[in-house]
Amino acid sequence: MTTTNSMTDVHNGLTDELRARNDIIECRGVDKWFGDFQALRGVDLLVKDREVMVVLGPSGSGKSTLIRCINRLEVHQGGDIIVDGVELTNDLRNIDKIRSEVGMVFQQFNLFPHLTVLDNITLAPIWVRKKAKKEAEQKAHELLERVGIPEQANKFPGQLSGGQQQRVAIARSLAMEPRVMLFDEPTSALDPEMISEVLDVMKDLANGGMTMICVTHEMGFAREVADRIVFMEDGRVVEIGTPNQFFTDPKSDRTKLFLSQIL
Amino acid sequence: MGATMDGPIHVPQDGDAEALDYTKAAPPEEPVTPPGRWVKENLFSSTSNTIQTVIFGGLLLVLLRFVLNLVFSEENNWAAVATNVRLLMSYNYPAEQYVRIWFTVGALAAAAGLSMAAWQLHPRISVRRIGVNLLGTGGVLIVMGILTPGATPSSIRIGMLVIGAALLVIGAGLLFGTEDPHLKHVSFTAVLLTISGLIIAFLWLFPLGKYLFIDGEAIQEDGTVSATTKGPWTVTILILLASLFVGRAIGKAIGGTRPLRLAMGVWWVIGPAFLIFLVLRDPEFDWDYVLKVDLPLALAFGLGGGALLYALTKPTFADQARAVGAVLMGFAIFNWVAAFFGWYAMLQKVRFSFLALALFALAAPTFAGEKSARLRFAGMWLGLVAVGHWLITGINTPSTLDITAPPFLGGFVLTVSIAYYVMLASFPLGILLALARTSRMPIFRVLSTIYIEFVRGIPLITVLFFFSIMLNLFLPNGMAVSELAAVFTGYTVFSAAYMAENIRGGLQSVRKGQYEASDALGLTGVQRTGLIVLPQALRVSIPNLVGQAIATFKETSLIAIVGGFDLLRIADKTIPAQTAFIGQKRVGLLFICVVYWAFSYSMSRASRNLEVKLGVGQAR
Amino acid sequence: MPAASAHHERPPFWRNTNVLKWGVQILTLAAVVAAFWFLVSQAKTNLDDKGIPVGYDWLNDPANIQLGEGIDTVPDTMGRALWSGMVNTLRVAVLGIIASTILGIVLGIARLSNNWLAQKIASVYVETIRNIPVLVQILLWGVIVASLPELTADPGEKRWFFASQKGISLPRVFYADGFYQFVALLLVLAIPIWFVRRYLKRKQELEGGEQHVGSVTFGLFVLAAIIAWFANPIMAWPRGVFHAIEDAWAEIPQSVMQLILTVIAVAGAAWWIKRFLDSRRTPAGLAKLIDDDYFRMIFAVVGALAFVFVVWVLWPGLSSWIINSGSDFWGWLGDKFGGDRGSRPLDGMRPTVTEGGRFVNYAPTGWTLTPAFAALFFGLTFYTASFIAEIVRGGIMAVPQGQNEAAAALGLSRGQALRKVVLPQAFRIVMPPLGNQYLNITKNSSLGIAVAFSEVVQVGQTLYNKNNQTLAMYSIFMVFFLVCSLTISGVVNYINNKLKIVER
Repeated sequence: MTTTNSMTDVHNGLTDELRARNDIIECRGVDKWFGDFQALRGVDLLVKDREVMVVLGPSGSGKSTLIRCINRLEVHQGGDIIVDGVELTNDLRNIDKIRSEVGMVFQQFNLFPHLTVLDNITLAPIWVRKKAKKEAEQKAHELLERVGIPEQANKFPGQLSGGQQQRVAIARSLAMEPRVMLFDEPTSALDPEMISEVLDVMKDLANGGMTMICVTHEMGFAREVADRIVFMEDGRVVEIGTPNQFFTDPKSDRTKLFLSQIL
Repeated sequence: MGATMDGPIHVPQDGDAEALDYTKAAPPEEPVTPPGRWVKENLFSSTSNTIQTVIFGGLLLVLLRFVLNLVFSEENNWAAVATNVRLLMSYNYPAEQYVRIWFTVGALAAAAGLSMAAWQLHPRISVRRIGVNLLGTGGVLIVMGILTPGATPSSIRIGMLVIGAALLVIGAGLLFGTEDPHLKHVSFTAVLLTISGLIIAFLWLFPLGKYLFIDGEAIQEDGTVSATTKGPWTVTILILLASLFVGRAIGKAIGGTRPLRLAMGVWWVIGPAFLIFLVLRDPEFDWDYVLKVDLPLALAFGLGGGALLYALTKPTFADQARAVGAVLMGFAIFNWVAAFFGWYAMLQKVRFSFLALALFALAAPTFAGEKSARLRFAGMWLGLVAVGHWLITGINTPSTLDITAPPFLGGFVLTVSIAYYVMLASFPLGILLALARTSRMPIFRVLSTIYIEFVRGIPLITVLFFFSIMLNLFLPNGMAVSELAAVFTGYTVFSAAYMAENIRGGLQSVRKGQYEASDALGLTGVQRTGLIVLPQALRVSIPNLVGQAIATFKETSLIAIVGGFDLLRIADKTIPAQTAFIGQKRVGLLFICVVYWAFSYSMSRASRNLEVKLGVGQAR
Repeated sequence: MPAASAHHERPPFWRNTNVLKWGVQILTLAAVVAAFWFLVSQAKTNLDDKGIPVGYDWLNDPANIQLGEGIDTVPDTMGRALWSGMVNTLRVAVLGIIASTILGIVLGIARLSNNWLAQKIASVYVETIRNIPVLVQILLWGVIVASLPELTADPGEKRWFFASQKGISLPRVFYADGFYQFVALLLVLAIPIWFVRRYLKRKQELEGGEQHVGSVTFGLFVLAAIIAWFANPIMAWPRGVFHAIEDAWAEIPQSVMQLILTVIAVAGAAWWIKRFLDSRRTPAGLAKLIDDDYFRMIFAVVGALAFVFVVWVLWPGLSSWIINSGSDFWGWLGDKFGGDRGSRPLDGMRPTVTEGGRFVNYAPTGWTLTPAFAALFFGLTFYTASFIAEIVRGGIMAVPQGQNEAAAALGLSRGQALRKVVLPQAFRIVMPPLGNQYLNITKNSSLGIAVAFSEVVQVGQTLYNKNNQTLAMYSIFMVFFLVCSLTISGVVNYINNKLKIVER
């Protein structure tokens, strides 16, 4: 497929350096219906290795649905999704592989309230990666250190603040050593004073070379950290570009409208 | 906000963290109001209030008089109950073997004491509550003493008046003699010790009289209860207290109650079976056969299966494990089909073992991991084989007891055992049905819904009759179950449907996000259900499950209709048929009312305390 | 921009989630059906070996039993005996439902009363009664009733109230000959009343002011009842109409009824599928259907086909049964009108002793609770009332405290606030668990067997002890109780839905 100048070309905004890297996620014409509502309409997307992609768009535009399809939390009904060379099909093995290679952080944290922070983090490494308990706990302590809350290991999620819970959720995903991290509006449920502590962890992660797709409304974060920004509306990708292109020189009228509403 | 949105339960439950002070959850008690103002505020605050006081006061007098008439009627011969207490409790259990019963009671008392220590059940009780309770009891006793009919022995009437007055005085002294009685607390240990002391003193000092049967003749002697009753009960109470303190000491020594809780949890599942089938039933093992057949079989399954499972739990062997599991499952099912058609003989135990092994093999990939995890899994299998084989052998071996009727259990022991095992057996079944009913797979949902709604639509008594009469009709030639086992099966089938509905309520309270987070982490469906969903759902279901346990305990009385010699059957049929106590139905029924009430009521009280402790009620 | 044709690799079937999902389900279904079929055929074999044919022909065999009470104490056939038992079950269930509801509401409100004594008595009642098994209570009531004094009255003596070992007797009101005519006339008169009501309502909406809609309607209705009481003989003409319908029903050939049933089933399934597809249709065309949706449609079709199969092949008698019983129904209804019947709609009578120490049950001589009935009724009522009291209390407490305060702020008294504000709201919360309790009463009425009350299970047991038709008998029990359950839950759901619409 040759490169065109269309606003939605999946290669738009790629630097030469990024262009040379491997494809990690590739979506081709992805369709998704909920009953009679079509949430995704032929979405094309390409994410390169170690790229940070931020997905923007008004609510109901299909951003969350898209990244949930990449993790197979939702089953797409048309088109193809290929993650790290593995196509998402009905194949049980592929699903298992993708789930353990793609980490996900949710808006509502979704920590397991009946387990301690430590057990939350070590659960999947022990049961899915079949790691030894000692090893998993050591790794968990390291991760808690990294997200800045090493002293909370033996507390229960209900005893933590929202920001701390979200950081535990990030540590929980990282414990599986994923190749890709998906963030589904990770700061939307937080009180304003807690947002920055979570964003700091995410920036740190991006600088460390993690491949990330973030659905977020944090424009500052998008401008500072993203390699590319994707704008979605009505289940379609409207525009793809670098943060610079996107914020200073948006191509589409819808993007302009959206930016004028939020900035 | 976000922090409290995550799930229905936020309060940490494991005592090891000891993070929250649960006593804070109890509402603060109000200070004591002076008697005059209290009466005015609560009984005569307005015209309608005064009218209610008059109406309900009159109603109270009529009701009390009615109940007292029932209890102290001239037609009643309470010796019928006193003489038959042993019959009511354990039916025909041979007197010379009674030490087995006492061993069982003692073991249960020890377990209860240890469990109290393990789950840290020691509520703080305020002086106000004790005072109010004493005042209330004293008042009711005095009213009863005045109202009681003429037929009442004067000793009882005077006793009620005297004890009532004494309680009133003590209660009033506590309430109005102490400063701020609602803020002062008495430790649970002190209350327990006081009550235990009172019971022991009552047993040894109070002249209740001895009642016994000698050659079918009912004999009554003066004095305190016979030593064969008060001795063991005293020891039992002491065991309970001792084990409570031992449990607390252990908790302190190892710095946490979790291991103790785990041990007690396992005991409550296996222990009662041990008590019933090994202690009470005392199977007469044919040691020759046991050594030649049973033991080698158990060893073969235990060690061979253990080795196989150890191999299959290697993380890289997942596919092989599934294949082996599928083959074994096919073989196990084939064995059952063959049994129905009588193609080849095989010990029932072997059939069960193959089925269990197939299930374990299928579960092996889920439990795969490093060496210690694999050894634990193989160990679980060994334990299951040991307990299962011993139990099947024990049940199939004749008992040494000299009892004419086939079931060796009867009376209260039967009532409790049936209730306990029905709950235990219907629990896994109920979980499966609830999972199927909330499943995304339509055929499972339809099948489970049909089953649950069907069973819930028909009365228990028809289910029990159906199984007791029909179960053997459905089985092929050569297979049969005893009537009691058939009734038990029917009751379990019935109870599972209700259990499923209760658990379904808990399942529905688990947020969708919990499923998504588990999926995103790559947990398998079984792991998601077992590690994430069920632990949360069951905790929410606890109040309903206790409610069902109480209902099950009460409804066990229905086996009296289908032929079991339980508490009710003995009070309703056996005692009134004794020549010494012809027609004495009423006293027996009143007595078992008290027994049933005491157990159900304390269970419901305990569950309310548990709810507070687990923070179930305060969710949301 | 067409995507490059993707190369879809089909996963092997043992890893394909769709195949696994459906494979497991279908295997389970097959296993359940096979196990069921196997068990039933095994039972049939076992019964055949014992020489007991499986079927329902025995329903027409002579019963040779005597029932303690009921519409027919010496039934001719076994079917009639069972029917009599069913009526007894329903009698005790309905009375128990009414009585326990009243008692339960009183207790529930008393538990929340500001009067200490009322509160305590109600909570002691609830905590005592609900922790004692209902069966024990029923037996205890049996013993209490049995210890009542002997019946000493002379034959022919009438009294207002008897309480004796033979039961408890009260005066009784019963329908007399003119009852159906009375009801029919009342229905006819209700039509103009309805129009008057509608007119008044419109007037109130248009002109405002108080038009007294409720009281005028009620007054007119009372007037209509008085008129109908005396004028009901003019409603004799339906007799001919209903008998004509009876004849017309009887004329329907069996094949026509089969055809009608087939059309109903097929049209029902088709209508359901069409509605289902409509709900999935979008402006852009039909939305993608998931396998659940296909399953539902297949289920509808299979259900309809199974019904058709039953109608034509498995049980052709169903159609003639519908024809016969429909015809019988119209005939029965026709007989209730005209002829040489009297005109009094209702009549009453005091209990009478017919011979020394005996009442005649079910004759119009007072309403007698036999000892068995009384024991069962008291046991069920008092037991269930304790649960209903808790439900009512929970319902009232679930109404936010703000509602009470708002009512007080408007100047309503405590009683008015309870009646007009709290109870209507609590009703909605209370309804579903209340329905469960009604179901429990119906099911627990089968415990009458312990006091030898002739309800359906007791009668059934007596019968199968005679002829060993256990399997068929249990199928009848189950169908009977399931119909009761479905009826009660249907009524409860209906009321609940009604209340929801009112809420809007």
